[in-house]
Amino acid sequence: MSQSKTSNTIAVRVSNLVKHYQNGTQANRDINFTASSGEAIAILGPNGAGKTTFLRQITTELKPTGGTIEIFGIDAIANPVAAKQLMGITPQEAGVFETLSVRQHLELFGKLKGLKKVEARMQTGELLDALELTEQANKPVGALSGGQRRRILIGLALLGRPPLLILDEPTTGLDPASRRSVWKLLQKVIKTGTTVIFSTHYLEEAEHLSQRISFINAGKIIADGSLSELRARFPQRYKISFLAGDANFTHLNAPSVEYFDSFSEAQDYVAEQNVSEYQISAASLEDVYFSLVGEHLNGNGDGGNALKK
Amino acid sequence: MKKRLSDIFCVFEIHLARLRAEAGPFLMAAIVFPIGMYLFASGIAANHREAADNTDKLRFLAASIAFSLSATAIGWTGYLLLENRFTNRLKLFATLPVAASSYVFGILIFAAAQSAIGTTVLLIIARILGVQPSFGGAVGYLLLALIILLSLLSLCGISVIIAARVRSFSAGSLMTDALGAGMILFAPVYYPAETLPFALRSVSRLLPTTYIASAVNKILSGNDGIGIEVLILSAMAVITLSAGFWQMNWREN
Repeated sequence: MSQSKTSNTIAVRVSNLVKHYQNGTQANRDINFTASSGEAIAILGPNGAGKTTFLRQITTELKPTGGTIEIFGIDAIANPVAAKQLMGITPQEAGVFETLSVRQHLELFGKLKGLKKVEARMQTGELLDALELTEQANKPVGALSGGQRRRILIGLALLGRPPLLILDEPTTGLDPASRRSVWKLLQKVIKTGTTVIFSTHYLEEAEHLSQRISFINAGKIIADGSLSELRARFPQRYKISFLAGDANFTHLNAPSVEYFDSFSEAQDYVAEQNVSEYQISAASLEDVYFSLVGEHLNGNGDGGNALKK
Repeated sequence: MKKRLSDIFCVFEIHLARLRAEAGPFLMAAIVFPIGMYLFASGIAANHREAADNTDKLRFLAASIAFSLSATAIGWTGYLLLENRFTNRLKLFATLPVAASSYVFGILIFAAAQSAIGTTVLLIIARILGVQPSFGGAVGYLLLALIILLSLLSLCGISVIIAARVRSFSAGSLMTDALGAGMILFAPVYYPAETLPFALRSVSRLLPTTYIASAVNKILSGNDGIGIEVLILSAMAVITLSAGFWQMNWREN
């Protein structure tokens, strides 16, 4: 459905993007980024890394200091309205009209997206099902939970079936059940071939939903690739998490972590150190993340060395 | 053009749907307070004479209509614009393929609809209270509609500027409330201009409410010579709305 709107195979092309705020903060520094049509890409990075600034420039909410942004070949800086016609956007913080019902939100904002009244009504029905909000359809939004409101915002972005979906931390603040529900919805959207770019702090979410992950730190993309490609950049494939200390340790102790090239090396370490309570597992995205942002799980701050150049 | 008109109407519809659930503040701003002011002014006038005559009553009614327009366009509309901005509802519009001007025009039409309701109700209540306007016929109503429209355009521009510029909801809210009332209190609408100190008389000449009340008073008195007021209000509308549109930008720097 979404592909019919554009034949361009590059959904987003960002070149040499620079954003300096008036207070002197350099939020994005020379970012180059491309998203192919149909890709699902997670943007990861610590707080203040520049993820939201990056996404808000793509969504045309924020004016870049330098560089170019194209959405399916349209210059988003020169033609923001035309670019937004191809995008569904869920901002990190967006309010809803407390006294309007879920149905009113979807129908009225559907019309603002250019849908005819009948189409807006039809898509509202479909989205209410997909969002699992049919029962709440006629309730004022003020009476709904945070998770339900977040789903409405995602629903608003999905109206008009845009070929590109941009979500800034779509599940932040949601309980695990609501998060799963949003994941389920996004998986359905991804399956339709919609290009999805989302930022998140949940590594599990990135693993679950995306085909590609871009790490942003200090305003730059410091790594970009599929999960397996990123894992391959982390040479030590196994890790042991164990509770260190004497016999009086409690489970409140943070686990210590050691990394190894092979499973047998990890086993040897267990035997040598006489560790009684431990877990050996494959290095995860979390390990890659901490390695990239220069911080190990145990906080010794030397993680950046573990990466292959 | 069709999409733009449809967007404007949708913004209007969204706020209208909202008003159905939150009519209280609108009724207070557009009807209850202006009626209160009308009664207050009539009472004071009656204190000096045996009773306020019809000329006084028409002047107070015109002043109350100006008050209602000011409270609706600056107080209430300003509050809505501020609320949309500071509760991040504005982001819902800013992230859609909708021009910022369509959003502002949608709100303007919403304010116009409220003002039409407010003015009509005030005219009906005034009749019940014994005021006898000398205007009638299509021309009178058309002139009144024109003045309402020009009033809104000039006053809403001020709301848009405040809503776009202030740094906090509380500061903006205080400012729109103060201006909504101040525009009436500092303009010679309930009292003759001659009673104002000289410096304030100059200030009052810069306030749209001075010309709104004067025009409405003339229309209610059956005098259609409102060319000067129309001209001044049109100029004020162009200035404030241009400044408002310039300030209202979806894209942040």
